Amino acid sequence: MPELQFREAIRAAMVEEMERDEDIFLMGEEVAEYNGAYKVSQGMLDQFGSERVIDTPISELGFAGLGIGAAMNGLRPIIEFMTWNFSFVAFDQVVNNAPNIRYMSGGQFKIPIVFRGPNGAAGQLAATHNNSVESLYSNFPGLKVVCPSNPDDAKGLLKTSIRDDDPVLFLESELMYGMKGEVSDADDYTLPIGTARIAREGDDVTIVAHSKSYWRAMEAAEELAKEGYDAEVIDPRTIKPLDIETIVQSVQKTNRCVVVDESNPFASFASEIAFQIQDQAFDWLDAPLVRVTAPDTPAPYAGNLMDEYMPSAKEVIQAAKRVMYVD
Amino acid sequence: MAVTVEMPKLSDTMEEGVLSAWLVEEGDEVSAGDVVAQVETDKATMDLEVYDDGVLLKKVIGEGDAVPIGQLIAVIGDKGEDISDLLSGAAGDGTAAEEDEEAAEAPSTEQQPSVSGDGAARQPQHARAPAGGNGQRIKASPLARRMASDHGIELTTVDGSGPQGRIIKRDIEARIEAAPEAAPQPAVAEQPAFEAPAGDAYTSEDISQMRKTIARRLAQSKYTAPHFYLTVDVDMAQAIRARKQLNELAEEQERARISFNDLITKACAVALKQHPQVNSSYLADEGEIRYYNQVHVGIAVAIDAGLITPVIRNADRKGLAQIAEETRALAERARNRDLQPEEFEGSTFTTTNLGMFGIEEFTGIINPPNACILAIGAIRDEAVVEDGEVVPGKRMKLTLSCDHRIVDGATGAEFLNDVQAYLEEPMNLLL
Repeated sequence: MPELQFREAIRAAMVEEMERDEDIFLMGEEVAEYNGAYKVSQGMLDQFGSERVIDTPISELGFAGLGIGAAMNGLRPIIEFMTWNFSFVAFDQVVNNAPNIRYMSGGQFKIPIVFRGPNGAAGQLAATHNNSVESLYSNFPGLKVVCPSNPDDAKGLLKTSIRDDDPVLFLESELMYGMKGEVSDADDYTLPIGTARIAREGDDVTIVAHSKSYWRAMEAAEELAKEGYDAEVIDPRTIKPLDIETIVQSVQKTNRCVVVDESNPFASFASEIAFQIQDQAFDWLDAPLVRVTAPDTPAPYAGNLMDEYMPSAKEVIQAAKRVMYVD
Repeated sequence: MAVTVEMPKLSDTMEEGVLSAWLVEEGDEVSAGDVVAQVETDKATMDLEVYDDGVLLKKVIGEGDAVPIGQLIAVIGDKGEDISDLLSGAAGDGTAAEEDEEAAEAPSTEQQPSVSGDGAARQPQHARAPAGGNGQRIKASPLARRMASDHGIELTTVDGSGPQGRIIKRDIEARIEAAPEAAPQPAVAEQPAFEAPAGDAYTSEDISQMRKTIARRLAQSKYTAPHFYLTVDVDMAQAIRARKQLNELAEEQERARISFNDLITKACAVALKQHPQVNSSYLADEGEIRYYNQVHVGIAVAIDAGLITPVIRNADRKGLAQIAEETRALAERARNRDLQPEEFEGSTFTTTNLGMFGIEEFTGIINPPNACILAIGAIRDEAVVEDGEVVPGKRMKLTLSCDHRIVDGATGAEFLNDVQAYLEEPMNLLL
């Protein structure tokens, strides 16, 4: 299998799908002439031309709505937000129109659209450029939220997202675009939305983590293994629909769970996991769930504070020991 | 719409009941008023009636199960109705007849997190989990509760090693592991000094509801009511004569014969009317002393399973014949465990009689919330001195146990003297 960067895996997914289906187009700020702010769409203008790879003004509300209108008329747009922080100016299109039109039209209009772009913190970008949107957007019925942690999952899941007849929010990471990983070159490689991956098997504690947090969880698991504790790490890959079954089965084995999520904690994805586990695995729990999240504050600018702000492997280890009643 | 049948409160003192027999099968039609089961309370075996029409869909507890008041014991509804919701509510308390299916597929891996390096560092701080008895709740993880229930382990007997003494998985595992060693194998003596008798060293049985109630109430009485005792020796010569005459009449009129106990019941009742302090209750919780306007005399009756005190209501206003008849009927029903709660509750005074066993005198434990109990000894032939001469006499000892919180020495003595006077001159009972 070839080794690709995360950005290359995403590009491969888009290119393969656009070659397969002429109704698919890519639109967003700097996606065409500049080859993408993060070089995700490098070379795509040359390959597909300016009718299918389209630069927009800085007008998220406008081009998000344009994408939804195109979807209603039978096309399959991929709308890139330069980062998900900027989706907030397109909020009404993303949370009101995209998920509700199919329902409100009695199924007359499908909305086969993908909104994609980098999500979450990316170093010293200050509070307004550090938002993690998975908890927020997964609150709206009708939106699928996909959040891969490695290039292979990114490719397989993006292809599936593009083929989905309903709106999918595809959350990438600025800090992970350069990450390399083996990516399947199988013909028509797709992965199902809503299936978690057991990344590491273990009997002592379940750690649920997605995207960047997944890597913090894996680092923690390696450290815990040195001390003799065997952590099971689960990457949900899809925030919504959530594969709670895989997580519950794991908790039934380990009797304890830590959720790592760089979102803010209140009403978050981590809270939702905690609720669902106590609902479905109450009698298997030997300890209350523990979350490792960003604190309930705006993200700082200073580098040292930012290190404190983000979930770390050290915090994950502490949380795991807390639920295992050691130390 | 399915309805639940719960363990009813069948007596004042009942806290739990034993379902002694089911009288219908699952699937049987039942109507409001039907007796579906028999329940052994602390006092009697009683019928359990249902208040609804339908099909008995589920017996939630089995025969012989003891459950507290209010707990689900059966479900009535339409045939084929889904009652899983109603049943799941009962599943958590461990007394439901059926084990949760999921419980069977317990996690395959039960071992603790293994540890390398310094194991001593992981030794948990042992904090004793608060016991259930003093009203504090036991802290235990849901998993620990389930494991304890699966293995029949009482959480009150487990030390919790988690935060605030929480009982967690490893505490239950430690208990399960320790269990086989708890009963050490007896060392085998090489040359036994004597041949031990064959068979077990003891037999055991479950404590019955009635035994539990006797234990609880009498212990409560002795712990809270400071007892003191007064004894008199009663000349029974006149009482014997009076009884003889009364029973000659009774035979003619084909009425129940009057016993000495009936005479004593009547004497006590009349005396109680004159001594309201003895016919009272010290109610610490309510902060009051209650003087009863009516006289209800309880009579302790020994039955196979223990003891019960049927009550002769308004005994001061009943004639001896009626007292005799009622006492006989109630004692008979008590022995058959047929008494209804209203027949053994609400006494204001109690007597207990061991005279028939030749017991000369003894002291009774006050039957709460009574203020006193009268212990009746045997009537004995005694050499007595009358007008300077030793002559044969008939004597009976009565011992009054008094709750000193209400009844002082003089009060108790005056009452007992009056009882004595009525028995020594029974004609006064007619006045």
